[in-house]
Parts: sequence; structure tokens; C-alpha cells
Amino acid sequence: MDRRKIVPLLSPAILLIVLLLVPVFISQPYVLHVLIVMGINITLATSLRFIATVGQFSLAHAGMVSIGAYSSALLVIKLGLSFWAALPLAGLTAMSIAFLVGSPFVRLKGIYFTMVTLFLTEFITLLVTEWRNLTGGVQGIISIPRPNAIVLPGLLNLTFASKVDFYYLALAMVGFTLISLYAIESSRIGIAFSSVRQSEALAESIGVNSAGFRILAFSLGCFFAGIAGAFYGHYFSAIAPGSFGFLLSINVFIYMVVGGLRRFAGPIIGAIILTLIPELARAFKEYEPFVFAAILLVVIFFLREGLISLPVLFRKRRAPR
Amino acid sequence: MIEQNILNGLMSGWIYILVALGLTLVLSIVGIVQLAHGEVYMIGAYTVYCFCVVLGLNFFLSLLISILLVGLLGVVLERFFLRPFRDDVEGAIVSTIALILILQTAVVGIAGVGYKEIPSPIQGVLTILGARLSWERLIAILASMVLVSALLIFIEKTRTGQAMIAVSENREAAALQGINVNRVSSVAMFMGCGLAAAAGALTGAIFDLTPFMGGFALMKGIGVIIVGGLGSIPGAIIAGLILGLVDGVVTALFSVQVASITGLIVIILILLFRPQGLFGHG
Amino acid sequence: MATLQITGLTKYFGGLAAVHEIDFDVNRGELVGLIGPNGAGKTTMFSLITGSLRPTRGKVVFNGKDITGQKPHLIAKVGVVRTFQATTLFSQYTVLENVIAACHLESKISFWEAALHTPSSRRSEEAILSRASDIVHFVGLEACKDQPAGSLPHGYKRVLGIAVSMAAGPQLLLLDEPLSGMNVEEVDRTVALIKRIWERGTTILLIEHNMRAAMNLCQRIVVLQMGKKIAEGTPEMIKANREVIQAYLGSGKNAP
Repeated sequence: MDRRKIVPLLSPAILLIVLLLVPVFISQPYVLHVLIVMGINITLATSLRFIATVGQFSLAHAGMVSIGAYSSALLVIKLGLSFWAALPLAGLTAMSIAFLVGSPFVRLKGIYFTMVTLFLTEFITLLVTEWRNLTGGVQGIISIPRPNAIVLPGLLNLTFASKVDFYYLALAMVGFTLISLYAIESSRIGIAFSSVRQSEALAESIGVNSAGFRILAFSLGCFFAGIAGAFYGHYFSAIAPGSFGFLLSINVFIYMVVGGLRRFAGPIIGAIILTLIPELARAFKEYEPFVFAAILLVVIFFLREGLISLPVLFRKRRAPR
Repeated sequence: MIEQNILNGLMSGWIYILVALGLTLVLSIVGIVQLAHGEVYMIGAYTVYCFCVVLGLNFFLSLLISILLVGLLGVVLERFFLRPFRDDVEGAIVSTIALILILQTAVVGIAGVGYKEIPSPIQGVLTILGARLSWERLIAILASMVLVSALLIFIEKTRTGQAMIAVSENREAAALQGINVNRVSSVAMFMGCGLAAAAGALTGAIFDLTPFMGGFALMKGIGVIIVGGLGSIPGAIIAGLILGLVDGVVTALFSVQVASITGLIVIILILLFRPQGLFGHG
Repeated sequence: MATLQITGLTKYFGGLAAVHEIDFDVNRGELVGLIGPNGAGKTTMFSLITGSLRPTRGKVVFNGKDITGQKPHLIAKVGVVRTFQATTLFSQYTVLENVIAACHLESKISFWEAALHTPSSRRSEEAILSRASDIVHFVGLEACKDQPAGSLPHGYKRVLGIAVSMAAGPQLLLLDEPLSGMNVEEVDRTVALIKRIWERGTTILLIEHNMRAAMNLCQRIVVLQMGKKIAEGTPEMIKANREVIQAYLGSGKNAP
């Protein structure tokens, strides 16, 4: 194989090995915690962008995370299911609700759809807060059990008693999300999404069921938000409606836009950088919203394509004219 | 008791109308979904607090100053943060989110997160038709009616008002007719933010102020626009009253929480069965 | 049996009849023109046929199947494809990518196979690239095949629109004013292109304002005025038809 083929194959492999070995070299729980939160944010930002590939901006992600978190917690606590069953079920619950609620509204254009998703998050928050018997109301649910241990004698001993095990679970979740979404997007389905986004009328005229693809994108995107929610619940072991409000939807939207929503890797970069900033700038916690606002404005005015487009800009500058 | 809640509902309704009309002006004429509209409302309230409580001016004078100052603030915001994103949904969302963050954090920095109070402009309680109505609630209703009427008169009778209607229907056509779309946008923004500021101030005289009071107002504003129909002024008025009454009556029969959910359900039903709103175009 | 049978097609907007009791057929392999002054209802007819609008009354039958009021993408799938005004393109894609996308979207490989990147779906990728390149060459756009569609001059955009429709493999092609905004040279080239498409066996229904081209191309012409059909026949018959001449003179447009 020539060099051009080896490098693309090697880089992900090297990256994977590095990521797998992180806990070997870094044992501070705090660093692992930041990486885990980063993993959750990457999952959320990438799945939000997946919905955007069909041209719709959703602010319902916080609501879907909430559904995932509560579903998983309740399935484990009240029905005694294993975490490993509850996790996919939580994702499916979020996906089903997205499908049911999204379908009637899927024909709404642009900002209207976004407003409906905003209301959806509100509605879910309200429902969760009021249904006290089921969800514990404003206090939420505490003492959510750790994921059931996976023990393969000699090979694996994951008890989830330490952050290291959660780190690997987060890695698996991110890997699963990125691979699935990338595979779908680089397939014919992705072409359908892109065509609906660029011109719904043209797409319909050549046989593309635009409403169907919109629902598909929305439902699948919300599936992964649900999964992230379930992970969140069992990692933090406590959830409350306050964790999943409008602000969370906005944050995920910001990761996506700042990173750049034209490219698959954009939200990943956005999530990584914007997870790090609050951690690195702990001293300036009160000014955090200003920093975020400043970043948003810089991106929207000067760097529309997001941070992911920086390398391309540099290359253009350096290229001989 | 129910008359009490109906009156409260009417009052809420009029405030929702103010917020929604302001938002409609910005949406239809400036062409942007102003997600930071709630923050403008909040700043209106805090401006009155500043002039009335801190500086000791009369409430009504402070209200007027607030409307003017916040209106001007709006004009500046429109020029730099909204106009560049006129037909750019993604850009508008990001820019207005940045505004939310900036405005909220600025107020938190200046005034702190604690609850603030604006004392009632006129003390005491009236009794109308068997229900007790505090003066500040009556003032809220009357002031809202006055402002809405002023807005309607302005739109009907002045050239700029008619220009605003033209721009809201078709911006390119209006420009071709010689209308200065940017100037009309600024005027619309001034009025829209002025209305929001008034709504915030009137609410602030009744309830407590917090830097985070804007989110609720935005939700209500959007809800009214959805139910009444995008760009429809009579729609906004009727929808505002409907949603206000729902809040009032359902709270009386059940509870505040059920009222919130009922309100949301009304909005969702409209979106399902008449997505263009009660008075909107198809 | 005619390929396309339109009977009693009527559409009211409020109290106004945009289209009123229209009957006509298009036979297999024909090239039929639909002309009329502005506001005659021609584009409304297209929208009614392709499902973007539901008729108030009347039927649209394609190859014996009633397609009246069905969803647009389903009507496209049975073989009825229309073109649009110039801004309806996948503007972020290049010319070639536009056609490749259209080929993919009408492809017979199921979406699951594509998502899983099976060997058969990968083989069809090469076939699609080859087919798309052929279409781009056929319409004469290979010189700008890597240009973003949004940056093309107006005339080229219309031709690209035709290319995209062709990629969908239509039996019946509805061309909506394909020559509008084109200069003389572009008109001649596009007329030749439309002829070539027709000669390959595609049935064509064509809306056009350019009278000379329409008379030149079409075997048969249907004339609408204010939503009603006022004449139907060969170009010679139409040119001599009093009512048609009246309709055009009355509205100030060029007579045929």
C-alpha cells in the first residue's frame, strides 16, 4: 500500500490506542471526569448535528437526555432491569417519543420546527417536575445504581466502582455513536438528508420522501441523546429536572455551531474545546457566559464554518497564488 | 374566587399581548426570531427598578424612561446583532443566544441574582364585580391597553406604520417601492423592545424581579404568536387573552402547574390542527 | 391508452378558479407544449399533476393508474418528474455531485444495504459515477462539472435542473419554462437537448413562453387562458386559431 492509504488507516488506530491507554498513565479522577463529560458532550453534539444534516435545528436534545436518564433510572430501580438492558431501552424510549411527537410537526419549516422542539423540552421538564410519584419531582431521583459489573475472568473486571471503568464505557459510547452516525451519513441515507436540506422541492421531485427522512434524522438523533442521558444518570447517580433544561439544549447547540456543522468532525472539536474552557477557567466562573458569548460572536461573524474550518483557511493563506 | 382568577388571567393576558406584539414586530419586520426578547423584557423591569427605586423617580416616569431607553438599546442591538442575520436562521439563533448570555450576565453582574422588588405605584386594592384587584394589576391592564392602542394607531395612521406593514408582507417589494427597509426595521425594533420593556416593568411592579425572568416571557410570547398566527396583530391580541384566561381559570380550578401544561397543550393543538395559527395565512 | 390522461382538472383558490375543467391527454413518446399568457394556470397544472397541489375536482391518470393528489415523491417514483425555476438546485453540491446525488436517490439498492456499505452497494457506486458523468456530458455541462451549482450562470442552472431530472429516469418529463432567461445561443442548445431527450423515448410536456421554440419543438400544443383550455392541436392549427391570437393580443404578449 502506498503512503497515502496507510496514513488514514493508521491515524484512527493510533488514536484509539492512545485513548485506551489514557487511564494507564493518568489516574487523577478529576481528569478522567472531564474526559467522561467530554464524551457525553461529543455524543450530544454529534447527534444534534445529525439532525441538522436534514436542515432542522432541534432544541429538544435536553428533553431527550432527560427522557433517557429517567427511563434508564426507573427501569433499573423500579423494574430491576440490568443497566445493560436499560441503556438501549432508554435510547429507544427517547427515539419513540421523538418519532411520535416529531411526526405531526415534521412539515414545519425552519424556525417553526425549532420552536416546537423548544416547547417539547419545556413540556418534558414540566411533566417530569409534576409527575412526582414517578420521577421524584423537583428533587429528582438519587442513588441510581452503577452499571452492573461485567466480569470476564482473566480479561475484564469492570465494576464501575472507579472512574476508570466509566471512562471506558464513555469511550465505548462515543465510539458507537460516531461510527453509527458516520456510517449512516456517508451512505445513501446521508445523501438523501443532504438533498432535503439543500432543496426539499427538488429532492421530492426526484422521489425522495422528505418528510420521512426528516423524521428519521430526528428520531435517530434523539436515540443517541437518550443513550447519553442514561449514561449521565448512572454516572452521576442523581438526576433532577433542573439538569436538563433549555440551557443544556443551548449548550449542545453551541458546541455544534462553534465546532462547525458542515463537517462531521466539527461538533467533536466544539464539544472538546467548550468542555475544556469552563474547566480551565474555573477562576472566572462568573464570566463563563461572557466567554461563551464572545466565542459565539467571533464564530458567527468571522468564522461561519466553525473551528473545524481553521486548517482549511490556513492552507488557503499559505497556498501560492 | 373564580372572578379573581379571571381578572388575574386578563391581566396576564394583556402582558402576554405586549410581549407577543413586540416579538411579532421584530419577527415580521426585522425578520429575526429574537430569542433574547425575554432579556429585553427583563432589562425593562430592571431599568424601572433603577430609576424608581434607586433614584427615587415616580413609577410612571420611570416606565416611560425605560420604554425609551430600552427601545434605543434595541435599535443598537438590531443594527449590530440582528441585521446581519436577516435571512440566516442559524446565524440568528447563535447571535441572539449570545445576546441572552451577555444581557443576563451583565444584569447579574450589576444587580446580583437576588430577587428585587418594585413597590406598587399606587397602594391599595380595588373591588370590581366582587373581585379584589390590586392597583398594580389594574395599571398593568390599563397601561397595556393604552400601549397597544397607541401601536395600532401608529400603524394605521402614519406613513412609517404603513411602511412597516408593507415590509412585513414582502421585504423586496417594499424596497422596490422606495421604502427604506433599514429605517423601518429600526423603528420596528424600537417599538418592539419598548413594548417588551413596558411588559417587564409592569410585571415587575406585581411580581419580583430576577435576571432570569425573561425565559418565561419568551415562551409566552412565542406561544401567543403560534396560537394567534405569525404576523397577525389581532391574532396576537386574541391569543394573548385566550392564553391569559387559560392561565387564570385553570389555576383557579386546578393549580398553577396544570395551567402551565394546559397552556402548552393549547399551543400544541394549534400547531397540530391549524399550524398557521388562528389568524395566520396558510 | 394515453400515458397521461387529465380529466376535468379543476383547482379553486378561495373563490378563484386557477384551473377549470381541463381535459387533455399526452400519448407515449409525444412532445406536447402547454402555452398561454401569464396567469393562465400552466404552472398550477404542473403542480396539480405532480402532487404539490391537490385538485378541487378532476383526475390525473398516469399509465392507467390514478395518481390524483398523491404525494409528490410517490408520483416521482412512478416516473413523472418535473423541473423548476433556476434556484431549485442542490446549491452546495457541484454540478457532477448534483447528478450523482440524483442517481443515488433513484437507485434500486435499499437504504439498509447502503448504510452497511455492502459490496453490492459499493459496486453500484462506480456504476452511478459512470452514469452521472454520462448525463453531465449528454447535457453539455462537462466543462463545469466541478463547479458549485450555486455559482453557475442562470442558463446553466436550468440545464443542470434538466440533468437532475433525467437522472431520476423519468417516463414523463415536465419541463417548466426551460428556456426562460436564456440568450439565443443557449436557447438553441437547450432546444437541441430537449429534442435529444425526446428522441431517446421520454415523453415530454413542456411549458414555454418562447413561442418560436415551442412551435418548433412540439408535435402538439395545448393552449390555456385564465384557467381554461381554449385550443389544442398542431402548431400550424394553433398559429391560425383566432381565439389564441386574441388571448395573446389581449394580454399584450407576442402573438404566436
